[in-house]
Amino acid sequence: MASHAITSNTHSVTQQSPATPLDDMASIVATYEQRIFRFHLISIRDRDVAQSLTQDTFVRAWAARDSFRGDCSISTWLMRIALNLIRDHTRTDRFRFWKRVSETAVDVSDIASHVPHRDSSLESRLIASEQMTLVWESVAQLSDRQRSVFLLRFLEELELSEIAEVTGLPISTVKTHLYRALATIRARHNATHKDPL
Amino acid sequence: MTLHLTHEQLCDLILADSSFPPEGEPWNDLKAESDVVQEHLRACLICSAELRSLRDSLSHFRNASVSYARQEFAQSYAQRSSIAPPHSFLSQPLYWTAAAVVFVAALFPLSMHRQRAIAPVTATAASASPQITESESDDALLADIDQKVSADVPSPMEPLADPTAGAASTTSTSNQRND
Repeated sequence: MASHAITSNTHSVTQQSPATPLDDMASIVATYEQRIFRFHLISIRDRDVAQSLTQDTFVRAWAARDSFRGDCSISTWLMRIALNLIRDHTRTDRFRFWKRVSETAVDVSDIASHVPHRDSSLESRLIASEQMTLVWESVAQLSDRQRSVFLLRFLEELELSEIAEVTGLPISTVKTHLYRALATIRARHNATHKDPL
Repeated sequence: MTLHLTHEQLCDLILADSSFPPEGEPWNDLKAESDVVQEHLRACLICSAELRSLRDSLSHFRNASVSYARQEFAQSYAQRSSIAPPHSFLSQPLYWTAAAVVFVAALFPLSMHRQRAIAPVTATAASASPQITESESDDALLADIDQKVSADVPSPMEPLADPTAGAASTTSTSNQRND
């Protein structure tokens, strides 16, 4: 709500910017930074780029805080900014998505060590690691749009309506992207299980 | 009736998001189809095994990604925090030695600049030295004049020395020879 303060002495009008939920950016960063970083890291698969894009996300959010109308949650709004940044980054000529080799690039072996093992048997651990690797490599084969929708659903666990808000796509289109992404994973999954070695 | 679940049916089970039924499809039809799918899953081991395997794969992917991202975030946070030196580090002599070296190294160009600035001043002072000696000689001359003026008997009035003193002794000697 805009507040106008009119001083009678100077007859000047001081207009203050409207208060938004994003004014307390410190608490917003503390709440959402790890989540935004996670989405950038798994999308880009580069630590340094993920850190940089995470900072850019909050800088853009701060710069555009006046345009936040509250018609969606802060999380959805931040995720939309993050997705646009990823899209801009992957469109640059210097960047070749998933093919770039750098010191900070994330390798599947880095992730495989984080597969939780409820069962301590070696066989179950190998199966879990293999299943995770299968999905990790399949995600790399997806198109940019499919990958984003897939990660929003299966990494960030957003509802389809939230994904539609973040991406600006109809829900039916979101579902179509998910079907195709799952088809890729399923095909690789079946091929691996039919021909294990 | 198909032998196994279609890809869309399997995906719907994985997505487990039935809050948005397809447009134009009544809720009762959706529920009836869901019942059929569930009944098929109970009967078909292949479809149930594939569904379970896909769910496990996606679950492992998410859990590993979340865990890895959490670790990377903690590391990056620690790196950002370690940019400033800790207080314990400030108490180490090596830190202060290094700081002193850096301080001296920073002052060295400044001292060189100052030396260059002093050199023209020295040359200017050297050119001004004849003027200084001339003024000193003037002062000595004036002091000498003052001393002479302030004397009791001016020098022109002092008794002259006897110019014949040497000649008289010579004359007496010659007179003695004549005698």
